[in-house]
Amino acid sequence: MRIAFAGNPNSGKTTMYNALTGMSEKVGNWAGVTVGRKESPLKEEYSHGQEVIAVDLPGAYSMSPFTPEEGITSEYVRERHPDAIINIVDATNLSRSLFFTTQLLELGVPVVVALNKSDINEKENTVIDVAALEQKLGCPVIKTVSTEKTNSGLKELVDKAISLNGKGQVAPYVQADIDLHDKNQVDAEDRKRFSFVNDIVSQVETRQTLSSKSNAEDRLDSILLNKVSGILIFAAVMWLVFTISQAWLGPLVADWLVGYIEGFQEWVTEKMADSPAILTTIVADGIIGGVGAVVGFLPLVMVMYFLIALLEDCGYMARVSAVMDPIFKRVGLSGKSVIPVIIGTGCGIPAIMACRTIRDERERRATAMLSTFIPCGAKVPVIALFAGAFFAGAGWVSTVSYFLGLVLIFLGALLVKVVTGYKYRKSFFIMELPKYKIPSIKRAFFSMLERAKAYIIKAATIILVCNLVVQLMQSYDWSFRAVEEGMEHTSILASIASPFALLLIPLGFGAWQLAAAAITGFIAKENVVGTLAVVYGLTNFIDVDELAMVGGANEISVAMGLTTVSALAYLFFNLYTPPCFAAIGAMNSEMQSKGWLWCAIGLQLCTGYTVAFLVYQIGTLITEGHLGQGFVPGLIAIAVMACVVFMISRRIRADFDRQYALHGGKIPA
Amino acid sequence: MNMATIIALLAVVLIVFFAVRYIVKSKKSGAKCIGCPESGSCCKK
Repeated sequence: MRIAFAGNPNSGKTTMYNALTGMSEKVGNWAGVTVGRKESPLKEEYSHGQEVIAVDLPGAYSMSPFTPEEGITSEYVRERHPDAIINIVDATNLSRSLFFTTQLLELGVPVVVALNKSDINEKENTVIDVAALEQKLGCPVIKTVSTEKTNSGLKELVDKAISLNGKGQVAPYVQADIDLHDKNQVDAEDRKRFSFVNDIVSQVETRQTLSSKSNAEDRLDSILLNKVSGILIFAAVMWLVFTISQAWLGPLVADWLVGYIEGFQEWVTEKMADSPAILTTIVADGIIGGVGAVVGFLPLVMVMYFLIALLEDCGYMARVSAVMDPIFKRVGLSGKSVIPVIIGTGCGIPAIMACRTIRDERERRATAMLSTFIPCGAKVPVIALFAGAFFAGAGWVSTVSYFLGLVLIFLGALLVKVVTGYKYRKSFFIMELPKYKIPSIKRAFFSMLERAKAYIIKAATIILVCNLVVQLMQSYDWSFRAVEEGMEHTSILASIASPFALLLIPLGFGAWQLAAAAITGFIAKENVVGTLAVVYGLTNFIDVDELAMVGGANEISVAMGLTTVSALAYLFFNLYTPPCFAAIGAMNSEMQSKGWLWCAIGLQLCTGYTVAFLVYQIGTLITEGHLGQGFVPGLIAIAVMACVVFMISRRIRADFDRQYALHGGKIPA
Repeated sequence: MNMATIIALLAVVLIVFFAVRYIVKSKKSGAKCIGCPESGSCCKK
């Protein structure tokens, strides 16, 4: 038996799905968290030994899809004929939710309505007459609270859905036989349905808190959604998140963890004193050192995920979308583009997938192209490494990295707008703001653990294998002879990375080791740290005591031979060049256009290169009074990039004019 | 070849074998990013 979970966005479908199946799919207190279909068997305690598959669907306001992810829901319940539908209704917003319910009831599939978030109704003294609602809708209605362990109503809900297997459904409202291509007829029919729903709500619901009255939430919104104070508060909140995770609490825990990893590495080296040197290097430096360097940053990432999960849960992140909407609109995006950007702080892949909630194709592709400019969790170790080694752990490095990412999204969108001739089209943004709530520490904790588990698995698999390969390539030359100490530049790794290093001279970091680390970063961004650990033979990137004592001029900065300016340029190069291959693959499937994909990769490469070039050259001019190495070749490279963008823009505009021209593309004399 | 070398060699072979096996299995099951808690489910249509 298959039970589909359908309902409006942010009605609590995935929370209920997780509670019933034991899964831990991503939940969030805003509309549009789920953008794909998910399936899993119900827990034994709910299915009573039967095979019952729960299908979690993206939120939808109606059966007429408005956005691509709404289309998934509509297509599934219409075409795949589930055995029953559990319609999750936000009990705090009955009139809006029942529009979709009445459409589901018309499909003939048995429906059980879950009156979710009933606990909030009780707090607000809103009473819903469940028996009357059941009678009006012609289907069972059960009060539920998915977040409760006991008395959640979930058992009763599932039992009812299972008992309806094989039965039909009578609709209380049947849509008239209208021409669905006629907008006026569809509008009139929708109004009739709304009137039917409002009539039901007026009979079954008694409210103490009227939406027309201003309450504490509205007053808070007036501050958080204000176009000046809203942005200032957002900047302050994000600064606090990055500073706590990457400068205060995170490094303290990481320092302790790294101490153990370093101790283990020393112990292994000691035990292998009589083993062949190459084997000791592979085990101690390649595997333990490389993986340990990445794992050492885990506490920083965990603290950041925990804080962001709290912000998501309390309802603040949805407000950020509304605040950013006017700014993003100026560059051809909208507040909808903010959701992928926020998700992108965790991982670029779900961020790109979240672009499905954007209806406009150009806006959707532009957001997918640009959202990875926000540093994801995998880039946190890279930021923390450079902030620690070159800037004495200064919190401003991560804050600047994230806000520069936002600025690049803004500028990139502006460029896409100019190149695609956006002025011909319009964009709009409608978003339902969720209620504020006290964030669940438990949920944030588990969300953090999930991410930590993923990070460890990645370190123990893909990063371990990469580090091993890097170590072997550094230890041998092309004749497969072991490279002697001091002759690393003759290794396989050096010979592959050196040509790339030449291109990086105008950016201030023309060493083959740094080029190799940047290249392995395309497999997984954590690899930048792992590879640097292997090629420079360093493990302890987090030494709070040393940083405090010497303020940056430490072992790491000495080994890499970078100035603070070139270190910042290298950091930005790694942050703003294309993301890992997995994220590029996600971009490919979401954009569904090879042209857009290659433009995205090109734009990101040009952006990373240009930002690093500007930081290094201007920074060197300010700090040392002269331009850095390779200024002219770098300038030529950037001029070539600008010419390519100009040519693409001209071509798109010419195609556009040809498409809409009335006189064969020529202006008559 | 001493005992430490044998143990280290065995450990390297086993670790790499299990790491590669995990990567291959994950890729076959549709995961785009190894270790991701979404396990590719975010990409399903």
